[in-house]
Amino acid sequence: MNEWIGVFKRGLSLDNPLVVLMIGLCPTLAVSTKLDGTFFLALSVLFVLTTSSVLISLLRSAIPELVRIPVFIVVIASFVTIVDLSLQAYLPDIYRFLGVWIPLIVVNCIILGRAEAFAYHNPPRLALADGLGMGLGFAGAILLLAAVRELIGSGQIVFLETTLIELPQWYRAPGVVMLFPGAFIVFGFIIAAISAINRRLYSRTTHPVPACTITEGGDVR
Amino acid sequence: MGRAPSTPLRMVGTVFVTCVLSATALAFTYEATRERIAAQERIAEQQALSAVLATGERFERLEDEILVSAEDYAGKTPITGIWRAYDARGDLSGFALRTSPRGYGGPVHMIIGLDRDGKVAGVNIVQHRETPGLGTKIITEQWFAEQFVGWNPADLSTYLDDYDTITGATKSADAVRDGIVTAIQVYDGVLRGLRDDGGGDL
Repeated sequence: MNEWIGVFKRGLSLDNPLVVLMIGLCPTLAVSTKLDGTFFLALSVLFVLTTSSVLISLLRSAIPELVRIPVFIVVIASFVTIVDLSLQAYLPDIYRFLGVWIPLIVVNCIILGRAEAFAYHNPPRLALADGLGMGLGFAGAILLLAAVRELIGSGQIVFLETTLIELPQWYRAPGVVMLFPGAFIVFGFIIAAISAINRRLYSRTTHPVPACTITEGGDVR
Repeated sequence: MGRAPSTPLRMVGTVFVTCVLSATALAFTYEATRERIAAQERIAEQQALSAVLATGERFERLEDEILVSAEDYAGKTPITGIWRAYDARGDLSGFALRTSPRGYGGPVHMIIGLDRDGKVAGVNIVQHRETPGLGTKIITEQWFAEQFVGWNPADLSTYLDDYDTITGATKSADAVRDGIVTAIQVYDGVLRGLRDDGGGDL
């Protein structure tokens, strides 16, 4: 059980896919202009990551080494298509906002990376912990980024047509926050903050920052 | 834990079985969501139709034969739907066409509203796969689509000599123009003659 919690926590903190490993940045920077759309992207990634990790882990002894990548991609693509069709049926506005980024989850290197680096070598129990931890770590970071960008960049946060926070009238929203440079700047601050927290929390533990387990290169797209 | 050996048979077998299972799962998902997706698309279609022809209250889809004859005038641009629009009093107020000219990243699906006399009343780009930031200017640069409003069949060639395109998005902009021209040509060839039959009987 301790092992399970250890794996789960790594995705949230020390191996956080976004702020520590810095993979899967493309959809993160592109989508994080609106909190509600981002929420459903994060949910989709969490779903695909967890289900595909568990399934690949269950099948791992049946998948020959040389064809593992094609099998991973078919499994991941199937779950992504399920998400794609469901969003299209039940949340058409969100589907329109996310657009191409939903199908692109297939090539998101967080998911392929975890399948290759973790799920293919570990039992389903741990693959579940890894999928949930990495998925929630991704969700936390991208939601924080989206909340900050939407608030600063548009002066309000609207979640599915409900206004959550509204800045006073005199506030002039700087448009750059909504563009890519703004995404990088805000993201940089978030990385700095999370690293500081991680350093404070983990500097005195006996085992230092575990080695990065991702073997894949940069983002595919 | 032993790993399945990478013999040719095992490799082909594994990939084949995975694909079959995946296809089965997707077939069920598709069946389960198909009706809802179609319903959502119908709602979106109604909204898109009202957006291009403000005077239209009720839209009636024209029969497929008319669609086929329209394609003779449309050249290589596909026409995927034509609607006759009636205003609140039940009089014919114009037509709406759904066409999908080829852009840079694939078809640009657009709905064009024409008034009774074939004058462009509104343009709505409903779906496309143009490059974000470049091709998408056909939507974000609002003046672009708006400049086509008011084009009429009689002066089409004059308009074509003098309109503004978008730098860096030539193919996407050309697609929108092609859609407009096609709509006007179809009006000239087919729809003009349909103005009076069947109208008004609510």
